[in-house]
Amino acid sequence: MSRNSLKIHLSIGKIQPGSENKNGSPVYTDSGTCEHLSELRSRVGSNPFFNFRGCVKVRPLGRASIRREPPNELVRCGACGQAPPRLYACVTCAAVFCHVHAPSHPVGNASDPSLHSIAVDIDRAELFCCGCRDQVYDRDFDAAVVLAQTEATVIGSIQDPPPQPENTRKRRRVEYKPWTPDVKEQVLIVGNSSPLPSQLGNDSTTPEVQWGLRGLNNLGNTCFMNSVLQALLHTPPLRNYFLSDKHNRYFCQRKNNSVITRSSSDNGNKNSTMLCLACDLDAMFSAVFSGDWTPISPAKFLYSWWKHASNLASYEQQDAHEFFISVLDGIHERMQNDKGKALSPGSGDCCIAHRVFSGILRSDVMCTACGFTSTTYDPCIDISLDLELSQGSSAKMTSKKSHNTHKKEAESGKFSQNGRISTLMGCLDHFTRPEKLGSDQKFFCQHCQVRQESLKQMSIRKLPLVSCFHIKRFEHSVIKKMSRKVDHYLQFPFSLDMSPYLSSSILRSRFGNRIFSFDGDEQDASCESSSEFELFAVITHTGKLDAGHYVTYLRLSNQWYKCDDAWITQVSESIVRAAQGYMMFYVQKMLYYKASENQVS
Amino acid sequence: MSAPNEDNISNPQLSSNVFNELLDSIIVDVASECHRIAKLGLDCNLEEEEEELRLSAQARATVADPSNSSETNGKYIVDIFGQTHPPVANEILECMNCSRSIVAGRFAPHLEKCMGKGRKTRLKATRSSTAQNRYTRSNSVSTYSPYSNSTSTSRLPNGTSGVAGNEYSNGSLEEL
Repeated sequence: MSRNSLKIHLSIGKIQPGSENKNGSPVYTDSGTCEHLSELRSRVGSNPFFNFRGCVKVRPLGRASIRREPPNELVRCGACGQAPPRLYACVTCAAVFCHVHAPSHPVGNASDPSLHSIAVDIDRAELFCCGCRDQVYDRDFDAAVVLAQTEATVIGSIQDPPPQPENTRKRRRVEYKPWTPDVKEQVLIVGNSSPLPSQLGNDSTTPEVQWGLRGLNNLGNTCFMNSVLQALLHTPPLRNYFLSDKHNRYFCQRKNNSVITRSSSDNGNKNSTMLCLACDLDAMFSAVFSGDWTPISPAKFLYSWWKHASNLASYEQQDAHEFFISVLDGIHERMQNDKGKALSPGSGDCCIAHRVFSGILRSDVMCTACGFTSTTYDPCIDISLDLELSQGSSAKMTSKKSHNTHKKEAESGKFSQNGRISTLMGCLDHFTRPEKLGSDQKFFCQHCQVRQESLKQMSIRKLPLVSCFHIKRFEHSVIKKMSRKVDHYLQFPFSLDMSPYLSSSILRSRFGNRIFSFDGDEQDASCESSSEFELFAVITHTGKLDAGHYVTYLRLSNQWYKCDDAWITQVSESIVRAAQGYMMFYVQKMLYYKASENQVS
Repeated sequence: MSAPNEDNISNPQLSSNVFNELLDSIIVDVASECHRIAKLGLDCNLEEEEEELRLSAQARATVADPSNSSETNGKYIVDIFGQTHPPVANEILECMNCSRSIVAGRFAPHLEKCMGKGRKTRLKATRSSTAQNRYTRSNSVSTYSPYSNSTSTSRLPNGTSGVAGNEYSNGSLEEL
């Protein structure tokens, strides 16, 4: 029979200091462990797997396995001499056996069977219970494996320091309390405002409709602007900001006028007011929420935006997405100037546009030779996704999902032959996949000191309050001198959980989904809900590349409306689900309120 | 591995054995990974995701059904306020540039000419370096003419190009 050539370092009888795991890993179900494992643990001390790190063999960017001494030593089952796909080694005595003979191992050690119930899969570094005949999981074992992996893999120094897990640490979260005015405030409100016409009209012709819905006139092929404006006007944090008078256009203009008279920067411009897209947006909010329902002509906005956009190398845009970016950029630039110093867009302290839309992307470039990883962080205001055709279900959770999908397809019989359709989550999977950079794009590895083939992987370090997904439906080929539009349908959910795309999840999957606290895991137990998003606006494009039309679907109070320039109509959910999404807007379901920095007297 | 008496095994048989072992190994790999994911509850959103897929498929079927055409054919009778709107917006607006009265539906083409925008004109304006860098990701392949001043319905939407190998093709904004 074969020699046992595995050195399993299990501390038996010694109390080892347990590797203290930080809090904050995802909520794991308890079904990972079993009674036999629990018993072994109670027998051998607080952390029997602490020394296991020495047993683990790691390949750069590869899976952990159990070291063989000498390496590549052929190992076979002690009972039958076979070496089938799974071979196990008892964690106590290092006896090797196949899964057929695993159950008999503890039995064969009748003197102390509970010490011999747990084994480790040699090739996969997974625990196996001979009693339950099933793979089991242990937090400390996983920690030992991950630590071995991180020690062996040279983790590069982070080029940009990770953004402060910020304000969640510095400022505690507070309970949301709805505001009601006190007596003094009531007097102030009544004295300085006039009530809007009542929605509950006694007149039978007065329709009972949502606040804030107003058509936007098409000024001549300006549906690209109208569609984005409708989405912005109903972006909850943005709407709340402007309706709370956080950017009062009268104050802003008054301040500008005093600036203008001092400097003569605005040559030849009839208007003495400085350009401020936030003011124009403020005016739009006032108009849209005024209670009037005749359509608005956003002429001033168009004018202001053209003045802003013309400063950028006269890059007139007719694409809704480019318009969206340009408007947010315009708001940022103005507010940045007001604040004086350049604030990081990642934290959102610079302007309301970033406060609402900016998230932080993490990019890892890993050397395939040594595993050295270089990490950078960049703010992003939206995520542009390639429209991946026929991805089907999420690749993250591999075969289990596709199995279920196929089962349902067979049962329902209503699905088309090609059951796989493109989905938003599929696009996000593609966005966060480990991408092998071409051999012409070799990355200089600081550890190897040469250019090596690398893997690149994106993930989301910090989620924005509002996630905007832009689907790249317009393809331009300079080589072929042609462009085309991709009309392929994309399924998008109404409710979206972004946690699989977070940096912590991506890192975790890179390490084999071990039970471990990875970078980015929130310390707060209620963190799970902060990755849940709700769809509230969809911008669709119908028609051809050069003869098309933008329309926005909005969700207000669980009812969907179609905003087609001046026409606002009510539509069913099905219409929205079946629409060809170009830009999708999701807002965090749960918005947390942080304690104010200002002292309130 | 194969039985000890390898001499009696032909090459095709050996190849077959090797292949089967590799295949078994891969199958166990996937099974092990999925087992871990399922046991640790990492796929807890599976049902919600499948429900969303089902609802979308159902929605598409409903929309495709000709008997449901009332909503889908895009012809509007009245809006939610009971109003109708002409194809060309007829509100009269005052141009910010020249103060003339312009019909809303023709405002944009007027403003374009009035402001001197379009292919023929380049406005000289100070450009901040940050603004310039911000758009380096997408302007290299823009071959489209700027805003057309005809009143036809043709438009030329510029999408972002799918540039391979560009680190910022994911839409991130590089802020200096």
